[in-house]
Amino acid sequence: MLSEIALYGAVETGLIYGLVAFGIYLSFRVLDFPDLTVDGSFPLGAAVAAVLIIEGFNPWLATGAAILAGMAAGSVTALLNVKLKILNLLASILTMIALYSVNLRIMGKPNLALLSEETVLTPWYDLDLAYHQVPVLLFCIVLLVSFVLLWRFMKSETGLAMRATGANPRMARAQGIATGAMIVLGVALSNGLVGLAGALFAQSQGAADVTMGVGVIVIGLASLIGGEAVITPLNVVRALLACVVGAILYRLAIALALNADFIGLKTQDLNLVTAVLVTLAIVLPGARNSLRARFLRNSSKV
Amino acid sequence: MISANDLKLTFGQGTPLENPALQGMSLTVAEGEFVTVIGSNGAGKSTFLNALAGEVLVDSGTIVVDGEDVSRLPTHKRAGRVARVFQDPLAGTCEGLSIEENLSLAIKRGQRRGLSSAVKSRYKDRFRASLASLNLGLENRLGDKMGLLSGGQRQAVSLLMASLTPSSILLLDEHTAALDPKTARFVLELTESIVRESGLTTLMVTHSMKQALEVGSRTVMLHQGKVVFDIAGSEREGLEVKDLLELFEKQRGLEITDDSLLLD
Repeated sequence: MLSEIALYGAVETGLIYGLVAFGIYLSFRVLDFPDLTVDGSFPLGAAVAAVLIIEGFNPWLATGAAILAGMAAGSVTALLNVKLKILNLLASILTMIALYSVNLRIMGKPNLALLSEETVLTPWYDLDLAYHQVPVLLFCIVLLVSFVLLWRFMKSETGLAMRATGANPRMARAQGIATGAMIVLGVALSNGLVGLAGALFAQSQGAADVTMGVGVIVIGLASLIGGEAVITPLNVVRALLACVVGAILYRLAIALALNADFIGLKTQDLNLVTAVLVTLAIVLPGARNSLRARFLRNSSKV
Repeated sequence: MISANDLKLTFGQGTPLENPALQGMSLTVAEGEFVTVIGSNGAGKSTFLNALAGEVLVDSGTIVVDGEDVSRLPTHKRAGRVARVFQDPLAGTCEGLSIEENLSLAIKRGQRRGLSSAVKSRYKDRFRASLASLNLGLENRLGDKMGLLSGGQRQAVSLLMASLTPSSILLLDEHTAALDPKTARFVLELTESIVRESGLTTLMVTHSMKQALEVGSRTVMLHQGKVVFDIAGSEREGLEVKDLLELFEKQRGLEITDDSLLLD
């Protein structure tokens, strides 16, 4: 089974991916905009934060800059789609590819170590907590704040306009909503959240790496879809809750699968396990319904 | 007031599918007038409405609404002046949002949207009162998802949404065509009472000649992207569907080939 440290480690990463799942909820669910930019904006957030921290800036300031960088990346994707009429998926792939070079430029080399630097976590280690509990506490707070802000935003006039843009753009326009501007704002916010996740991930792992974004989109989707399988997203609060629960469950499932020696899985099997988990999360809710229907049919015959 | 002058619009210009939808369409509608628009398939009725709303931009000609030239403005910039109900009951509302959220979207039509809560408590009494006037029991279902409502209920709510904020013109695009006859009658009566109360300048596209003569104060027939005849007042009173057909054939020397126009 999981050791306590492995358990906390899984929750810590899960909390960070909860932010990614929020972002993916905004783009995929609210705006119906399949956005792969996140594979680039996650390491972008990490790179910006790492470089600024090494330059001696306040780590929170560096993290804020990472959010802005993520938002800028998201805006580029959205503008490619809205202004230049490039298919949304393709626009996001273009930005993602471009960001690989941008991230290398920002960092100057493929990875930067942060081990001896002061990060957002540093002051928290003075608390009377075990070393592996500190990031969990801090990231819980960050996630909670993001949750409340995002929830309030979705309930605001602008947030409602954004939801209408994704659900029924023609109706949204007829109500005077500038749907193009809403897409730019939404995709920017989404990638801002992912940039934040990247910045926190780099600080908790002690390094930023140009390849750390590979598969972020899949993990985010896995969290989103998995969470929705557990908590039906009937309203905004439940949808956001599903993101958090999904992200943590996903990391726990991965940790369990890789730690359980009797299954024989190793670290290199991570992506295979991910693909299997996502498939299960997509298929299981449907299978559960059809099983229930079959059960009801059979029992009504008796 | 609406004034459309010599509107021209061709879809797919320069392609084998080139389709001249509007060919010099002109129409002036006075303040508070309720005009019904008829015409066979492809006559340009929906394109004309889309051009007024801003969903398509005309190739040439001008559209003036209440003294302002809106010809080049996109839909969302015209929304403050133009209220609209679509043919498809699913098109005018968001099924994933609740009734009160849909109404809250509409109450800010054409205005700036900020970060304050969208569904304000002071709106709710007004929503409840408006919904109660529909007699559909919707006033107690503010939090229900729009998708739970029937097509007729959704069209009725769409009409309410169109009348929540003042606008210059109301565009109705065959908004009863997708409903069963009884619901269609209900929605039509609702339309008439809303137009009467608000005094909105209204254009209603319909497929039914009978309906076109029964409601409104003026009837316009389109053919091949132009107005072929335009009747109002005493000339229109007592007119029946067969008179309208004769009028059309006399004007154009054509036979009506679209059976659906003749069906009630």
